[in-house]
Amino acid sequence: MQRPRERDKGDFRNTGGGKNPMIDFDKEVIEADVLIAGGGIGGLMAAISAADEGASVVIAEKANTKRSGSGATGNDHFTCYIPEVHGEDIQLIVKELFNSLLGGYQDVSLATTFFQKSFDRVKDWHQWGIDMKPHGYWEFTGHAYPGRPRIFLKYAGASQKQVLTDQARKRGVRIENHLPLTEVISDGGEVIGAIGISIKNDEPAIKLFRAKCVVLTTGTTNRLYPAPSPGWMFNTAFCPSNSGNGRAMAYRAGAKLVNMEIPNTHAGPKYLARCGKATWIGVYKDPSGKPVGPFVSKPTKELGDITADVWNSVFSDYHKSGKGPVYIDCTETSQEDLEYMLWGLRHEGNTAMLDYMAAEGIDLRRHPIEFMKYEPFLIGSRGIEIDQRGETSIKGLYAAGDEVGNFRADIAGAATFGWIAGKGAAERARAMKGFQKAGDSSLAQDRAKFYSETLGRESGPSWQEANLALQQIMNDYAGITVRSETLMKAGLKYLKDLKRKVVETLKADNSHTLMRSLEVMDLMECAEAIFLTALERKETRGLHFRSDFPFTNPLLQDKFMTIRQEAGKAIIEWRDRR
Amino acid sequence: MFFGVWIIHYHGGLFMPPIMNKEKCNACGVCADICPTDVFRVLIKGDVPDIRYPEECWHCNACVLDCKQSALTLRIPLPAMMLYAEAQREG
Repeated sequence: MQRPRERDKGDFRNTGGGKNPMIDFDKEVIEADVLIAGGGIGGLMAAISAADEGASVVIAEKANTKRSGSGATGNDHFTCYIPEVHGEDIQLIVKELFNSLLGGYQDVSLATTFFQKSFDRVKDWHQWGIDMKPHGYWEFTGHAYPGRPRIFLKYAGASQKQVLTDQARKRGVRIENHLPLTEVISDGGEVIGAIGISIKNDEPAIKLFRAKCVVLTTGTTNRLYPAPSPGWMFNTAFCPSNSGNGRAMAYRAGAKLVNMEIPNTHAGPKYLARCGKATWIGVYKDPSGKPVGPFVSKPTKELGDITADVWNSVFSDYHKSGKGPVYIDCTETSQEDLEYMLWGLRHEGNTAMLDYMAAEGIDLRRHPIEFMKYEPFLIGSRGIEIDQRGETSIKGLYAAGDEVGNFRADIAGAATFGWIAGKGAAERARAMKGFQKAGDSSLAQDRAKFYSETLGRESGPSWQEANLALQQIMNDYAGITVRSETLMKAGLKYLKDLKRKVVETLKADNSHTLMRSLEVMDLMECAEAIFLTALERKETRGLHFRSDFPFTNPLLQDKFMTIRQEAGKAIIEWRDRR
Repeated sequence: MFFGVWIIHYHGGLFMPPIMNKEKCNACGVCADICPTDVFRVLIKGDVPDIRYPEECWHCNACVLDCKQSALTLRIPLPAMMLYAEAQREG
């Protein structure tokens, strides 16, 4: 078969674009009461609740809402509070959340609101066709301590994205797939619209939106640090297309980010990066077969082994000490529990891993699997600050899901606060009269010029080069091994040098590589916020290890640090936990 | 030169995740539409999708799950191979 044509390389410029093409503006300007950036769990739930409130709703999605984001192929654990299971004391369950892998870098007020509303979302999902009690009752298993309340509801989420997409469409939500948002347009501290780029065709086009409210739900920030396999940037536990777009858009628009200096890592099978620690039913053991954690010595379906959730560095600690590796050992798991676990892994979306294990003859009855700690990334509790209604510090700009900075409950948090943010945005939109003219924004013209320059260059570094350069700076100067004032000041200088070079020289060929290029720009925005806030937190806390301030200061236990931009200057402020 | 480009390009398409069985593919385009990381591109409507960015595969399996023709499989690349031990048996 003849492999043809310049177009195969995806270089749209060869289809008649000319040497320095100006990127096209799509003539249609989309108007929406509520515009949603990203159709993951948070975005779809925001869309559904906003539409239920009577708002006109548009989702602008980078891929396709049926399979996008970290919940693309499923999930099997949903944090929630069900009074008939847990009893009447909700604060006991909030406490358990803070002691779980979801951690303590959150506002108690948001966590309480979340638990008050979470069961309603469970019932919604169940009614819509996501089976939330696949074994006939509200079953809480995994991520649990012996003798303590269990807060992770086991569910069958393999088709969750299709179900939620259908529910959104049923309510008249307009879904624009392959159209990532790149900028929020604000005027006078208030949102008036957004800019997106259509990547449906090789030739990109700018799409403008007028919106009364914008909800940011673009998920985690991956690809900031080197992934388990050097150079293999997309081997990540969470969706690698999630690259800090929402955080960066919010920051550029002047909204506050919070807790950016506190690193987070996930763990799972080495080297195939996958989520799903608590779906495994086994015991973490050293090579001699001795359990490494204090919680379980025999496999238990009810608990899993929470060691890796709360002793985050167990795998690297054992490795560095020479006592490793550490394995998840399922060889003593009963056949019934093994089948339950494989069922759970399928619903969590881990079918590629299961197919691989079957093809390679990896048999969990005989083979302990080595686990590892993955690279740092930004998930909930490191990102955009929101209030009880999901609104940011910019009027009309909302956020939910994995990019929220003062709350975290992963998929359940996305579902519940997505719902809250969508409702809040719709109520605000209802009280407003008309749209502002977002298309006249100088930001749109400025961005069009930058995109065109990036696309028009004959030569220059690719987004991959820029991304890898960023990853090595982050790893060496704002990593989780050591941080100090001298290292971070040097790293921040190098980051700014890199950013300048990238802005001036980056080359993209088509809509896909332009999208990836802009993702790297957003990653650098997040990186800068990390450096600035990590410099300011002059103590050691969690994985923020300051060699020059090794002490964890109890006075800072309930202090959160925010960062925002005003007139191009970063402003850092401390506040109390709420 | 042209052949070299062809080999590099198609080496990726054939031997990295995902793998397309072109005999089975009916060019419906679903894989390209739903891939979370935009690995596939449809060059000409009605053509078999091009696996243009295989190095950006997340190994999520969405394309394999959604292909009604069962034309797609994943090959997990060597750097992501899972590591395992033989169980310790007492005695």
